[in-house]
Amino acid sequence: MNRELAKEIILSLVIVLSQLLIFNHMKLFGTVDTFIYVSLFILYKTTYNKTYLILFGFLVGLIIDLSFQTYGAHTLASITVCYLKERIEKYSFGVNSTLPLAMIRGTQLTNRVTYFFLIIFIHSLIYFSLIFFKFEFTLTIFLYTLINSIINFIIIWVISKLIFDK
Amino acid sequence: MQSIINSIVKNRNLIIYLFLSFVTFNYLYNNSSVHYSGFGKVGTFISGSTSSVYSYINSYFNLRQENNKLIEENLELKKYESQFIDKSNKRDVSESKIDKTISANVIFNSINKSKNIIVINKGELNGITKEMGVISSKGVVGIIKNITDNYSSIVSLLNTDLKINAILKNSSTIGSISWNGLDPRIVQLNDISLSSSIKIGDTIITGGMSFYFPKGIPIGRIEDYNNTSLEGYYSIDVSIFSDFSSLSNIYILKRTDNDEIKSLLNE
Repeated sequence: MNRELAKEIILSLVIVLSQLLIFNHMKLFGTVDTFIYVSLFILYKTTYNKTYLILFGFLVGLIIDLSFQTYGAHTLASITVCYLKERIEKYSFGVNSTLPLAMIRGTQLTNRVTYFFLIIFIHSLIYFSLIFFKFEFTLTIFLYTLINSIINFIIIWVISKLIFDK
Repeated sequence: MQSIINSIVKNRNLIIYLFLSFVTFNYLYNNSSVHYSGFGKVGTFISGSTSSVYSYINSYFNLRQENNKLIEENLELKKYESQFIDKSNKRDVSESKIDKTISANVIFNSINKSKNIIVINKGELNGITKEMGVISSKGVVGIIKNITDNYSSIVSLLNTDLKINAILKNSSTIGSISWNGLDPRIVQLNDISLSSSIKIGDTIITGGMSFYFPKGIPIGRIEDYNNTSLEGYYSIDVSIFSDFSSLSNIYILKRTDNDEIKSLLNE
């Protein structure tokens, strides 16, 4: 158990560091920011304490905010998806939502896609709403959210495959 | 107490989430000028709308006070108006010399009798004497009949006993206004000979040839007339400007020259 935990902590550190050192400096197609750190919340085991997840989300979000100079947009998006994670799991997996890990083999692909996409979409929506923060940018917010969600979904999906197939 | 603690423990995630959200918003508010102004706008909107609702409600409670203030202001203006008319027209001062205007509220009013009386909340102690002219903001109302210390009764224009000197504003033809006791919106203008030219819509004002009213106070407008009378006078219906059914604030005119004129007549 302790070994597993240590492994996960190291994995989290690697993801956060790669976000800070690599993905923060990448802007795909000139507009898309890559937020691979969201994968941490997606892959956080359902059996772990939800309160810790919210605190963990706050900590990660704060680190990203400080590096991005976004003054809390990442933090709020992160703690919100962490808080809503349980509901999103229930919505996406239905009766299988109590399974120890969302990415467990055997779950339906559509369920997994829904789960991934919902978390990424909600995160992006909150993030861009706070970044633009004006009603007249509503359309822009939705456009950015949609494009970012799709691109980030693909990236996070690939990363999670790499981690778990290993 | 236990149940409170239980509910806190049960909802700890929500509480933590809300607390962290608050911290984050605070962080946003303090560090980002965009969010600072955005939150500022929301704050202004909320405080602005609540204040306007508050002042809207509050204004209802101050209506009486406001009303009194307006009456006082109106009174001042009427005083200035009469002075201005005196100066600009260079009239004989006796025509419109109003020394004082007293405002009063109607506490009793009737329009459905043939001899209608209005009672007001001002009396002898307020400086009211008999036979003072009474007007509203729109025109002539009547004449003070009886007074007590605190109350006065007014012979309304809608009283078949009252006859007021009146003239046609355009031609200065002299006549007299009285009421036939039928329609409370219509009074009759008498003594206008058939040789005068009149038309519907002509304004009737007080003539100034009485002790009650100075010249020029509006009474009404010609509604209809009949020139088939054999006596050589028109029979004219005048719709009155003052709405007697909703009379509330009235003004009593105090003329200083009445005694002087009366003393002349008595000699």
